[in-house]
Amino acid sequence: MTTTWRRAALVILAAIASPAWAHHSFAMFDQTKQVTLNGVVREFQWTNPHSWLQLEVVNDKGESEEWSVEMLSTSVLGRMGWKKNSLKPGDKVTVVINPVRTGAPAGNMISVSDETGLTIGGPPE
Amino acid sequence: MTSGKLFALALAASFGIPAAAQFPASPLESLKGVALSPERLPDGRPNLTGFWVPPGGLLDVYRGPSGVTGLPVGPNNVPTMRRDIPEMKSPYKEQYEQLVAKAAAAELRDSAALCLPPGMPAMMGAIYGIEILQTPNITAITSEWQAFTRRIWMDLKEHPPTEELDDTYAGHSIGDWEGDTLVVDTVGIREDVPLDRSRIPHSTKVRLVERFTQFSPGVLVNEITIEDPEVFVTPWKYRYVYIYKPALRLREYVCLENNRNVGPDGKAVFE
Repeated sequence: MTTTWRRAALVILAAIASPAWAHHSFAMFDQTKQVTLNGVVREFQWTNPHSWLQLEVVNDKGESEEWSVEMLSTSVLGRMGWKKNSLKPGDKVTVVINPVRTGAPAGNMISVSDETGLTIGGPPE
Repeated sequence: MTSGKLFALALAASFGIPAAAQFPASPLESLKGVALSPERLPDGRPNLTGFWVPPGGLLDVYRGPSGVTGLPVGPNNVPTMRRDIPEMKSPYKEQYEQLVAKAAAAELRDSAALCLPPGMPAMMGAIYGIEILQTPNITAITSEWQAFTRRIWMDLKEHPPTEELDDTYAGHSIGDWEGDTLVVDTVGIREDVPLDRSRIPHSTKVRLVERFTQFSPGVLVNEITIEDPEVFVTPWKYRYVYIYKPALRLREYVCLENNRNVGPDGKAVFE
């Protein structure tokens, strides 16, 4: 177990005694699966209740496909080091997501890294 | 460790802990706070004015390997954080069980997803932090989530008569000090306002008593007692803990700004 995971487990355990509540359930995402997308930013919606990344990804058939990646609120992203200009149209990024269960080109962001491989943002304050 | 294993760990932990504990012991002593400055208001009362977050930080259940992961949910999409389900009377017990089952079919269609205010006492979960502002006659608490403010009337000794009281999201709150403990009594909460995400029901006869005490400088404990003679066999008690964060300030949060998750029919939407 890595240090990061150990910390995450502790955080979750701590949270059990301190019930929190988010904008919506995350049950529509398959949290047992991760998909890595290499694509180009079409649009970055820096908004509440969630930010969204519209990403152009070339699929196996060589066709361009648009993915919708749901992110956290600006409240939280802003305190993880994200800013409204963290992503710009045309940026090449690698995005890891939990995909939606329906198979649609959409998912919940786990991490975003830039062209140089640097992860954008960190844990929230 | 995969996220699935981590989820299983959290799930096991949530079910493995005895449910009976009230105000369960957690290591408050281990929490380090920053004293507020000044520590007291001109009237001598403790200064609580500022921005507070849960001990685990903002969105404390979300952190994964790179900062973010999903909210752990159990069977029927019910988040697993709640481990102290109170004993309920009939027919509320059956209603609760039906709601839990129904949740699986309409995962997003709840008041939070529809951008309705969290109300009381869910807002005190402080998922994105809370801001406390004190004036001589009003203590105002705003949850950054949904930008919702409740007002505690410090100048009132009684609630309006029940037959005249409007049922609202925040309810009607009156506050007083017992030494350095702020005691807040709340009634008049709409029946459709969830107590939290557990979907545990309440009637309009629900009454909350909150006792806010700084356990140590910058570590605030809110011991909540929920009475509802229609629903609960005995009062339901639990506590929230907040850490003062002088460097954080409330950010705007307008839920309807870009709520892409819920379509007109209340189902999930991805475009």
